[in-house]
This record gives sequence, C-alpha cells and structure tokens, in this order.
Amino acid sequence: SLQEKEELIEEWQPEPLVPPVSKDHPSLNYNIVSGPPAHKIIVNGKECINFASFNFLGLLDNEKVKNAAQASLKKYGVGTCGPRGFYGTFDVHLELEERLAKFMRTEEAIIYSYGFATIASAIPAYSKRGDIMFVDEAACFAIQKGLQASRSNIKLFKHNDMAYLERLLKEQETEDQKNPRKARVTRRFIVVEGLYMNTGDICPLPELIKLKYKYKVRIFLEESLSFGVLGEHGRGITEHFGVNIDDIDLISANMENSLASIGGFCCGRSFVIDHQ
Amino acid sequence: MANPSAVCNGHLHHQKQNNLLKSGTSKKNGITKGIKKNGVSNGSLSKKAFIEHFEQAPMYVAVLTFVGFGVGTIFGYLRDFMRAWGLEKRNVATEREQQKDFVPLYQDFENFYTRNLYMRIRDNWNRPICSVPGPQFDLMERVTDDYNWTFRFTGRTIKNVINMGSYNYLGFAETDADALKTVAKELQKYGTGICSTRQEMGNLDKHVELEKLVARFLGVEDAMVFGMGFATNSMNIPALVGKGCLILSDELNHTSLVLGARLSGATIRIFKHNNIQSLESLLRDAIIYGQPRSRRAWRKIIILVEGIYSMEGSIVRLPEIVSLKRKYKAYLYLDEAHSIGAVGATGRGVVEYFGMNPDDVDVLMGTFTKSFGAAGGYIAGKKDLVDFLRTHSHSAVYATSMCPPVAEQIIRAMKCLMGLDGTTQGLQRVQKLGKNTRYFRRRLHEMGFIIYGNDDSPVVPLLLFMPGKIGAFARRMLEKNIGVVVVGFPATPITESRARFCVSAAHTREMLDTVLNALDELGDFLQLKYSRYSKSAHPELYEETRFELED
Repeated sequence: SLQEKEELIEEWQPEPLVPPVSKDHPSLNYNIVSGPPAHKIIVNGKECINFASFNFLGLLDNEKVKNAAQASLKKYGVGTCGPRGFYGTFDVHLELEERLAKFMRTEEAIIYSYGFATIASAIPAYSKRGDIMFVDEAACFAIQKGLQASRSNIKLFKHNDMAYLERLLKEQETEDQKNPRKARVTRRFIVVEGLYMNTGDICPLPELIKLKYKYKVRIFLEESLSFGVLGEHGRGITEHFGVNIDDIDLISANMENSLASIGGFCCGRSFVIDHQ
Repeated sequence: MANPSAVCNGHLHHQKQNNLLKSGTSKKNGITKGIKKNGVSNGSLSKKAFIEHFEQAPMYVAVLTFVGFGVGTIFGYLRDFMRAWGLEKRNVATEREQQKDFVPLYQDFENFYTRNLYMRIRDNWNRPICSVPGPQFDLMERVTDDYNWTFRFTGRTIKNVINMGSYNYLGFAETDADALKTVAKELQKYGTGICSTRQEMGNLDKHVELEKLVARFLGVEDAMVFGMGFATNSMNIPALVGKGCLILSDELNHTSLVLGARLSGATIRIFKHNNIQSLESLLRDAIIYGQPRSRRAWRKIIILVEGIYSMEGSIVRLPEIVSLKRKYKAYLYLDEAHSIGAVGATGRGVVEYFGMNPDDVDVLMGTFTKSFGAAGGYIAGKKDLVDFLRTHSHSAVYATSMCPPVAEQIIRAMKCLMGLDGTTQGLQRVQKLGKNTRYFRRRLHEMGFIIYGNDDSPVVPLLLFMPGKIGAFARRMLEKNIGVVVVGFPATPITESRARFCVSAAHTREMLDTVLNALDELGDFLQLKYSRYSKSAHPELYEETRFELED
C-alpha cells in the first residue's frame, strides 16, 4: 500500500559511497617525483638511482626524441580534439603505423592512444560470448579486463606449463567431438605474454606454435615488456626464438615501456587487423 | 532519438525571451517544461528558459529512409551472391593458406553491414589531416580507384578547410608559440613519457599541481587525474560499485560508461533519455522491491548521467535529478566530457549552468580532450572519495599516468580560463563560444533544418534521415572546403542519421557565415529542410494587424 511504500523509502539507508580509507594506508601517499623520471630521479627530495621505471632503452632523456617532439608541438599543438573517425587521424599516425608494420615485418599495424586500453579492447573485438580462451594464470591485469569485457569462456592453465595446456586442449577436443556443429563455430584462442609482468619469465613460443597447428587454436601475443627488449633488433619474442611472425595471429604491445611514450599498437596480417 | 512525449501537434509557440508568461509551465511540441521567469541571473537560481527541441520528421521521410536501407540490403545480398560465385572480385583480405582449416575468425553475416553499406560511403570517415585541428585545417587528399576498398594519397593537401568536426570548443588547439612556451619548456625538462604507473614512480610534482588546480577550478575538495578519458570511466566505476549495487543509467550514455558499468558486475537498469518520471519510478521500485531474487535491500544506488550528450546535444536536467537524489538517497555520477569548459558563465560546466552547488553531485568526472585541447580525464569530489580512488582505482595501480607536457597544457589552459594568468582571455573565449552557439542555432532554425538539442549546447546535430544523403552531404561540403562529421547507424538509431557540428570559440563570424550559406544551398539542393516550424526572420510583420486602406 502507499503508506508502506513511503515508509520503506524513508527507512532505506544506503552504504556510504566509498568506505573510509585509513590515513596510513600504504598506497595513499604517493612518492612525489620532482624533475624528469630518468635514470637518476629525485623522489621526495632525495636523489636516487632509478630501478623502478620501465625505461628499458633509456629513451626518456634522448635529445633526438625531445627535438622531434618539439617540432611536432609547433606544428600540431598538443591534443587531437577528436576520435580517429572524425578528423583525429593525422599524417603522423599513418606514418607511425607504416613504420611499425615495416619494423615488425607484418602487413599492417594499428595504434591506440592508451596502453592499458590496447589489449583490453583488442581481445573483445575478436572473441565474443561462447568463444573459448586459454589464458596463462599470470596474465597481467589489462588482459584480465579484456577477458572480462569479452564474456568468453576462460580456461586458465598453470604458468608456462605446456603439459597442462595440452591436457586442457585435449579435453576441449573430446568435447568438440560430442558436439561437432557447435565446435565448428566456436573460436579458440590462446593468450600469452612475451615477458610476463607478474613473474618476469618468458613464454615458450616454439612449443605453443606446435600446439597451435595440432589443435587449431589462434595465438594472441602480448608483447608489452618484450618489445624493444628481446630479440637481436628488438623485435620481440618472435625474433628471440626465430619464429615466423606470420604464425602469430595478433601481436599487441604498449609503447609505454621501451619506447618511452604513451599508447599501444597491434600488428598482424591485414586479415586480422582490418577488423579493428 | 526523439523524446517519445514530443508529439507534433499543429502549432508551435516560439516564445521569445522577453515575453512574460502567466503560467509556470508552457507546452512546446507537447513537452511540458517548467519555464522560470526571466530576470537578471545572479547565480543562485537558474532563471533561463530550458528549451530543447526534438522534432519528429514527417512520415514520408521515415518511409523513404526504410526504403533506402531496404534497397541497400537487397543490393548487398546480390553482391555477396556474386562474390561467392566468383562473378565479382573479392577485395577483402583472406585467411592464410596454412590456417584455412581453422575455425573462421569472423562470421560472414556480422560484416554484412560493413561490407555492403558502410563501404560505399567509407571515404567520409578517418580523413587524415596534416595540421593543427583548429578552426581551419589542411586535409590530405585521398582518392579511391576501386570504390572505397583501398585509398591512395595523391600527395596534395586541401588547405584551410573549415573545421566543424573537432571537439575544439574553447579553441585551445593552437600552435601559437607564445601560448605554448611553457609547454615547450616542460617538454625539454621532463621528456615525453613516464614509463611507470601512478602508484610507483609515476607521480610527478606536475600531477600534484594539476590536481590542486582542477579541484580549485571546479570548487570541490580534491581531484585525481588519469591518463585517458575513456579509461577513466571504465576503470573507476568498477572501483566504486560492485555486486549487489544498482546502476541507473541513461539510455544514451557513452560507451565508456556502459563498459565501466558492465565491468563492475552491478545490476544495470536503463531509464529513458532525460525523463525524470521514468527515473523516479525506477528508483521507487528499486527501493521498495530490493534486489531481484533475494529481495534484500540494494547496497548502493548510483545514477549515471552525462552533462551534454554528444549525439543529441541535449543537456541533463540537473536540478530535478539532484532533488530526486536527495529524496531517495542515491548517488550521482556526472560525466562532463563535453560540457566542462563549454557551458556555464565561466566555463565550469553544467553545475554552474544551472547555478547549483558542486557538492550536490557526488562524483564529478570529465575529460581534458575536448575543451582543453589535451588528453586525459579527471574525477573530482569529496576528499574521502578521491583518497579511496587513489588507493583502489585500477588505473592508479596498473596504468601509466599522464605525461608532463600534456599536464602542462592543461594547467596553462585552466589558468587562462580562471584568469590566473592576468588576462581576461579565458572569459572572452567562453562568451564567444556562447555567442557563436546561439547565432549558429538560431540561423539554422530560421533556415528550416531539424536540429536536436538544447539551445545552449555547442554540439549541433542536424538531421539527415536518409542513408543516401549521408554520403552526398559530406562529400559536397568537402567540395566547398568545409569539413563536417556525419554519423549513421550504429551510433544513432537507424532512421536518424545526422550531421554533427561542433561550434568553437575560435570560429569567427565570417567562418560561421560561410558554413551557413553553404548549408543553405545544400539544404535546398538535397531537400534537407524538413522542419515544419521554421521561424521567420522578420516576425515583426505579424504585428501589422491594421493597415490603412487607400481610398
């Protein structure tokens, strides 16, 4: 009745919007870095040697980089004021994509404006509800968010344990034989990282390629930390192991680690990249 | 999307601002709005009339739109058939030979729309430019030899195209060396990137300065900035709500809000666009009946709205929502991506536009990409909220922070707006934007186009309706050296494709006049003037009721 309804509305008390945070929570007070975050940085007033930033190639302080940035500042200003579709594509974006594709020796590349968003948007673009993804347990947070947004079935395998992965794949195959029509339309992916952020070791890529052809799964490789680090010329884990880059369906990386800037890119064959 | 209560009845009362209204409400197009009496606005209560238009098109237009899509679809099927049988060339990239027996990556039908309808007019999007995106820019010329499957750059550039598409509301996208000298200095000092997350080594003194400035600008206790605007929403909403909470979001909310809401795991309910009755009924049901199956009370209720909706140009009804929020004890999350800097007497957003207190809104969120000409987003509010976000937000822990030159650009833009650099340039920009907006909208109304949205919003959608006109409109405007943005399905409902203009403070009167004249000609040529209620430019003639008869 109306009277009861009004009473219910009066009585209801929500939780506070945010739970109170104690004053000495460890992450509350950040260290303030003054001056450029290069190899020697000044934290909270003290000068320290920097072992904490992902500045692998030391490009944060490079004069050539800074001069190029100054020139582009004079020509383009600071922001793009628009998404890619509506006059936000500059000729430098296109040039960057071409150069990345040539460097990585793939057909095409596409760039994103934020590293976290790169992998978190690339995964849901291909894998939808009902598809199956085999993911390493130690996958980084951005991958986890991408998986959550894609709503696919996720099967975790123990970190770098190829035998476990093979077992999971075999189970999947027996399931497929029970239901061949459904199996024909569910896509299967393996998502691995080149250099894992959480544990710091490298994934065994040649064995993964063998598994790929045996069980017909596609591989998505996340090279955020290994781009610019592994391999003779810095092309990443494919060069490190000498694997043909066309075997990997999609390589995604973020440029915030070795390349000392902001953003990310995905590269692969045109067939895969056009979809994005 | 047209407001469902906007039924076109025969007449329209276009009341001018200085008419005195006897009753408190007035009916316009069937929408009842509370019109407040006009007077000098001294900031405490909004005394402006809240006029929004969502006119529906005549029936024949809707029919023809569907016919257009139907023809496109039939041709699409025909061409797919021909392609499958090899009668026509396949221009799409195909799978590798070794992987031919893998499960196909894309379903054919998913791309039907993209392949057949979008490909025909694809040259109107992703146009590359090669200069600063100010009021005028240089476009790179692109031609296609095979009907938009591939593009080729001729190497020439089209100079000085008037820019009606970039979100450059206050005109801060400039390369004036004097204005940018602090940015250049910071670039030299700090370098280009950060290479670290916010909680580790990524918190520079520049960030602290920027956050204090943002908090001061908005009039709140504290603020926190993030590297990307889109990611601000999708990474902080999950930190604020979780399972067992209820999210009430507007029908037309942006993808970032929808993604954040979905990632959080809370229950989502949608209310009709800007419709207060729908929101109130949802709130009452939620409190009375509780969670769907267990009937327990909800832990929290959050209302997600935007300041200006980018596809409609409508402004949120903030006073009513705040009163609802107080009555039912819900929390309000306001996304001011387009409205910060663009509305309000000094550019502080919808909160100032309605003359309200920023403490009424629990979470103020916005982006720096649009009005400030930089990149990134912020969340502002009470100190407890921001402290919580510093510790628990996904972005602070895992994502890189904003880079120093960008932060410096925002600091400079904000100081200019607040007048802290000693000039009145900021205020002048805001006022110029307001004047440009009102002039543009008034002239478009007079010409007879259908425009959606509030009279004060700088986002002006002009309805095109028919799919064939989308391509024609954009291409002809480019021939006249004006760059526009057209949107169709799936960003808008299928019958309401539109062209969207973004008025900027950097546009001069001459530029706006050029655009308006071009629109006039094109409107006649393409038959775009659907409005049945065009305002006459000389209403004084109606006053003549008596005239002398010559004997």
